[in-house]
Amino acid sequence: MSAEQIRMATPDAPSKLKLPGLTTVLLVLGACVVVFPFVWMILGSFKTIQESSSYPPQVFPGQLHWENYKNAWLAPPNTLGKYFINTIIVAFTGTFGQLIVCSLAAYAFAQLRFRGKDILFALVLGTMMIPGEITLIPNFMTIRHFPLMGGNDILGSGGTGLYDTYAAQIIPGMVGAFNIFLLRQSFMQIPKDFWEAAQIDGSNSFRYLWEVVIPMSKPIMITVFLLGLVGRWNALLWPLIVTRDETLRPVQLAMIWYQGEFSADQGVVMAASLLVTIPIVILFLIMQRHFIEGIVGSGLKG
Amino acid sequence: MFGKGFITRDFKGDLVVGEVLNSLIVTVNYVVIAVPTSILIGFVIAYMLFRGSRGEGVLRTMYFLPYITASVAVTMVFAWMFDSHVGVVNALLETVGISPQKWLLEPTPALKLLFGLDWLPDWAAGPSQALVVIIIYSVWASTGFNIVIYLSGLSGISKEVLEAAKLDGAGEWKVMTTIIWPLISPTTFFLLITSTIAAFQVFSPVFALTRKSGTGAASAGAPLDTTLTITVFIYRHFYERSNAVGYAAAVSMLLFGILLVLTMIQFRIGARRVHYQ
Repeated sequence: MSAEQIRMATPDAPSKLKLPGLTTVLLVLGACVVVFPFVWMILGSFKTIQESSSYPPQVFPGQLHWENYKNAWLAPPNTLGKYFINTIIVAFTGTFGQLIVCSLAAYAFAQLRFRGKDILFALVLGTMMIPGEITLIPNFMTIRHFPLMGGNDILGSGGTGLYDTYAAQIIPGMVGAFNIFLLRQSFMQIPKDFWEAAQIDGSNSFRYLWEVVIPMSKPIMITVFLLGLVGRWNALLWPLIVTRDETLRPVQLAMIWYQGEFSADQGVVMAASLLVTIPIVILFLIMQRHFIEGIVGSGLKG
Repeated sequence: MFGKGFITRDFKGDLVVGEVLNSLIVTVNYVVIAVPTSILIGFVIAYMLFRGSRGEGVLRTMYFLPYITASVAVTMVFAWMFDSHVGVVNALLETVGISPQKWLLEPTPALKLLFGLDWLPDWAAGPSQALVVIIIYSVWASTGFNIVIYLSGLSGISKEVLEAAKLDGAGEWKVMTTIIWPLISPTTFFLLITSTIAAFQVFSPVFALTRKSGTGAASAGAPLDTTLTITVFIYRHFYERSNAVGYAAAVSMLLFGILLVLTMIQFRIGARRVHYQ
């Protein structure tokens, strides 16, 4: 601090030293604006209904009303915990499933030789041109008319198919062309010598994939895993469409429920919002480097 | 194709904008404001971080946090901040002498509220004030991504070029506008196309912020359908009205057409870029 002040105060200091000072001030101001909604959320989560609905707003709660968190947790018919369990089931199985399916596909495209490989890979890449929202209705139809499930006959009619199940929330997201592409790029960088050595040792493709390729591609696997997990944690549209039963719905749909039930009591809504957001913030703070590298890598290659 | 979804007649028999065209206008208003704003702010902040600042790591984390947490849970605090009765934004505006606004309840175009412009029909006057709130949220939520991508692009610019420019006496502003901005243009283009494709599909913030602000039916897209983006339109017809699946699917093909053109442009220019490297 003092060194900076001395430098600023020295009249013959080079002019370029002044700019970082101004830059820092502007950046800190900007960061305050960016972080303000989180601060307001935290303050709000401790306010009583009178404090949160006073105008002009009361900035600080009179005292810390921790009971908002208890009320938020207990308010939904099966508690907020049920939504958390649903999200954890859907996000983790979905993301692990995605890693398995995509790395198998990526391995095939990177390592194996088979007829029609190039055409198949082009088709997989082609699906990247179709945005998720466009396939919403066909995917819903596939879920709803899934044969032999949920009372459906073999032609997929008569019942509800996979509608209102975990499977409907998990399975459609398990394949992603972009992840296959990313993993394939990483797999292809492994020298061919490794595969030849593994073959001499009597290894087959599965063991080679599991024991050599995947451990060597750890960074990209972590990236795909983290981005997949956060994407599923924050998802709204797909679970909104394929579920109706509140006991199967994930945390973001719990927020829609709170919005309906607690429109006047912002303290409870903010407490719930914070509970839902905190796990992602912690995950991000711990794994920040992987997130940033992953986003830069995937962003620029896309 | 250009049926009553595009141009229709109201109860007086006057020609008015149909519901599909309305959704297209709403979406285009959203895209052409939210995307460039977010990219420009992202560039400025990334450039300042790149120039060097104290606590750069902490600042970068703070700027990036909205992108990673953007979800319904976080939109809840925006709904409260922009509440027309108890919102902190209105309170802040009042301290600088601006009267309270209706925000998410206001279907009037923001430009009309600012400048009058009574001769201009609403559909041609840009986003409603309600849509402006959604744009503010989207810029807040997406700028962190642009910053990270720009920072990685900026780190690829050779220091020698910048130092040579400084030696030639080029000022800070000149270096930024004549050297850095052109050199970083592939990144800008990449962000422009990918953000535009993503923005055309906006759903969550509209759903979470406008579902309850309409009068009567709690249908997203309120007030007066001025925030009814294409994806929300598809959702409404597909999910809230039982017999309109085909109609919704047809509108999603329209969206597909728009996005396909954008993707083609991206691939063409992207391929050219790789070629020249």
